[in-house]
Amino acid sequence: MNARHLSIIMHKEFRGLFNERTILLAVLLQLFVAMFSSFLMVGLTSMYDPSSLSKYSRFRYSIAYAGNDSGLREYLDASPDFNVYDMDLSPAVAALKERKLAAVIYAPDTAPDAVDPVKITLYTLQNDLQSAIVNVKLKDIFLKYEKDLRGVRAVRLGERPLPLQLPPSRGGGDFYEFVYGLLIPMLVFMPAIIASALVIDLITEEYQHETLETLISTPVSFAEIIWGKVLACELLVPVQAGAWLLLLLINGIPISNVPLILLMVTLSSAIPILIGALTALHYRERTAAQFIFSTALVVVILFVLALPANPLNLLTRLAVGTAGMEQWIVLAGVIAIGAILSIATQQYAEKIGRQHHTG
Amino acid sequence: MGALTDIATIARWEVKRTLTQMSKDTLPLAIVLFILLILVTGFAAQSGMHLQDGMYKVGVDDPAIAQLLASDNRFLVYQLDRATLEQNRQAFDIVVMEGKVYGSDTERAKSALKTVERDYAKYTNRVYNRQDDLYAAYPLWIDIQSVKSELDFLATQSGQYISARPGAVAPVPEGEVRAIPSPSPALGFSKEDLRGELAKSETANSQISRYTEMLSSDTATGRFRTPSQLSPPLPFDSIILIFVFIFPLYFTSQFFMMSIMNERIERKGEVLLSTPVKTTSIIIGKVLPYLIGMIAISAALTVYLRASLLIILPLIPVIFFFLANALIIGMVSRSFKELSFISIFFSTVATSYLFFPSIFANVHVISLISPLTLIILTLQGTAYTFTDYLFSTSLFWLTSAVLFYVAVVNFKEERLFSEKRLLIRIREFIAESLSRNHPFVSLFLLNGFAIPFVFMVQLMCLVLFFNLPMPYSLVLLLIFAAEIEELVKAIGIYTLSEQDTAFLSWKNLFFACAATAIGFLVGEKLLLFITLTQITESVFGSILFLSLGMLWMPLALHFAGVFIVACALKFWGRAGLVPGLLAATAVHCLYNLYFILGWLT
Repeated sequence: MNARHLSIIMHKEFRGLFNERTILLAVLLQLFVAMFSSFLMVGLTSMYDPSSLSKYSRFRYSIAYAGNDSGLREYLDASPDFNVYDMDLSPAVAALKERKLAAVIYAPDTAPDAVDPVKITLYTLQNDLQSAIVNVKLKDIFLKYEKDLRGVRAVRLGERPLPLQLPPSRGGGDFYEFVYGLLIPMLVFMPAIIASALVIDLITEEYQHETLETLISTPVSFAEIIWGKVLACELLVPVQAGAWLLLLLINGIPISNVPLILLMVTLSSAIPILIGALTALHYRERTAAQFIFSTALVVVILFVLALPANPLNLLTRLAVGTAGMEQWIVLAGVIAIGAILSIATQQYAEKIGRQHHTG
Repeated sequence: MGALTDIATIARWEVKRTLTQMSKDTLPLAIVLFILLILVTGFAAQSGMHLQDGMYKVGVDDPAIAQLLASDNRFLVYQLDRATLEQNRQAFDIVVMEGKVYGSDTERAKSALKTVERDYAKYTNRVYNRQDDLYAAYPLWIDIQSVKSELDFLATQSGQYISARPGAVAPVPEGEVRAIPSPSPALGFSKEDLRGELAKSETANSQISRYTEMLSSDTATGRFRTPSQLSPPLPFDSIILIFVFIFPLYFTSQFFMMSIMNERIERKGEVLLSTPVKTTSIIIGKVLPYLIGMIAISAALTVYLRASLLIILPLIPVIFFFLANALIIGMVSRSFKELSFISIFFSTVATSYLFFPSIFANVHVISLISPLTLIILTLQGTAYTFTDYLFSTSLFWLTSAVLFYVAVVNFKEERLFSEKRLLIRIREFIAESLSRNHPFVSLFLLNGFAIPFVFMVQLMCLVLFFNLPMPYSLVLLLIFAAEIEELVKAIGIYTLSEQDTAFLSWKNLFFACAATAIGFLVGEKLLLFITLTQITESVFGSILFLSLGMLWMPLALHFAGVFIVACALKFWGRAGLVPGLLAATAVHCLYNLYFILGWLT
């Protein structure tokens, strides 16, 4: 293995990537995904935690209360979110249809300590963003009322749950799990997947464009060609993953252990990249290689995710800062698998290289 | 008749080639991988996903509560005595001492607290559900009655408030009051039905529902909920199913892309082009097997899922859209790397366009811009109208048709085997679609047919910006909508001037601008007339499609915009493009602002 030969091949591949400006597309892709995930977060937060958008929380919704008196009425009156009117059911629903009300509540004549449950009928507008928000606000009130009713009927309960006194909800933390437990490992690992698809392209291209013979006639050996391509792809991973992390940091998402995360991603990306290289060496044709590789990748990722303390989980734990000593064991495992694949790639490439020279 | 035979022959070749290529040694491995996939899926279902294990550190003094929390992998639970816990408060996100939960002030701790809250709620539900007296444990049930608004419901869905500011007296309905019978106080479900449903919603896909715990899914008892189940329904299962439908389409279109690319490698397709077969026949022949395959896969999935075959209807335009894009991508990319990157980029954008709106399927009309929403509605058993279908699929039909046309006119030697840069190639593709003898007619048509793409991009922006706080979303939408329109209008004239620098004489420039403006306006009008009334009537729509009031005003605007760009091109050549575009966008924005401000006050 000659370092100069490797760097020549790497240079060639990078030049190709930059000439084609494909790298620009990758950057665009990153920006796009970042934009869309932030859309998703803002969208979902505003929908399910309406108070996060001040324009909704300022507003008092008009609702009608029909039917019989109940404890619910007091909670509604006390709520800063609602303006309650006493109305008959029919005109109230008609007004709801005309959008003069946000919701209509009908309470039955069921005593709090009755054998039967209390069935509240809630009229809301179909398929409407605002009525979704009204529902969320009403839910809190219903929950309080449910607790009261449960208290009244407590004597009829058999087993009681273990008591646990939770502090009052302070808001926030809604999307912490989504960001750290899904978005970050996914975004950080995506460059590894892109790089492994890339290595297949780089190898099969030499075969299908019939440029391999020219390359082999140079002093560079076949194995060196393959390793040059693998290393070029490998080098892209920390750059891209680092860009992701930077993007997240700029977005105000603090991430712990950035260097360790990059190390982890770079080392574990060797596994899919080498699998990609092996598939490409075997098939020498893009369609088949990409097809087999992507199916294999789904299998491997699914399997890995099902293992406790897998590398992706470790990315999450590194990012939130709860990773312990076991991270080094996982890292060692990743390195071991990478080493086995490297040996396989080296031997396979040498074998093919010999065939090329003799044939 | 001859064309049909040609198509059949080419389709047969295509199938045969793919099969021989695949069967060599791909097929056995593919089967092995498929079996492995099933095994791994089983294993994953049993062991669960371990992506979020150990995110939070919890210190607990009570073994029973420690056990309760440890059942959730997300917690690293340390059971310690009280004194140690108090000393090391800072080491934990959450500390539970003597039945009281204390959280730190970090984001992580807040999130951990939410998780404890949800876990505890689940646990209490489990306990309550075992009660003999179910109605003592669940004394309150909510019956949700959806009422269809009789007013134009678009106004409120576009960001306005639901009703007028509350007054001192109860509102009085203006229209007819239909008598509504008082609801009966009885539930109408047996205790056992309710118990079963409660148990189901408690255990339902706990792995996935982590992300969606605040949302509830549809239940068999329908509108009946306990208060804790009361949240806007997220059609989560249906959304998962959508991926089941879309993924095979991606795979198949990848094969198609590669097949087109393979024709171009080392000029292998030259033989095909030298035969007297028409290019239309070649393309149809090559597309046909994939089209049939995709529809067959979708149909098989539908039958397997025992869903209504109506699902296929909204899928067909999506299939066409994928194939048209695959064809173009296969034709423009020069190398495998480029093919990969462009196709990854395309599929991400397309998935976002298709997928994200459908999350809001039950909540918001905006979701209808994605055909997938129709699939969700079908799966849920909600009917959609023919207008809905037109609304969500027409852009897919139109853009696919335009892309296929561009592909057909460009499917020839000098285009397929050129090695030029991507943007130049795209420009050549557009140039090929323009007629040299009738440049103005071509410009008119180009701009008319560009409208579906413009709308697609603009709708994408609408989805993106929709959830930003109100003034920002409007401003961003304003700028982007104008920018996109000006960019698209400039493409035709830019292409013509690049091909022939002498083209831009003052006379030609004037007519070219006029043709562009008219083409754009006619396309806009026509498409809006067919479909987009739903969005155009909202606040956001009025920005996107403001230029619809009087005819001469928008025409003048479109003309002015493209005229600025054309002049910039005439004076400074290619370098004038970007400044010209910026100036045109500024003018466009000012025009829009003037009208919106005038209209708002």
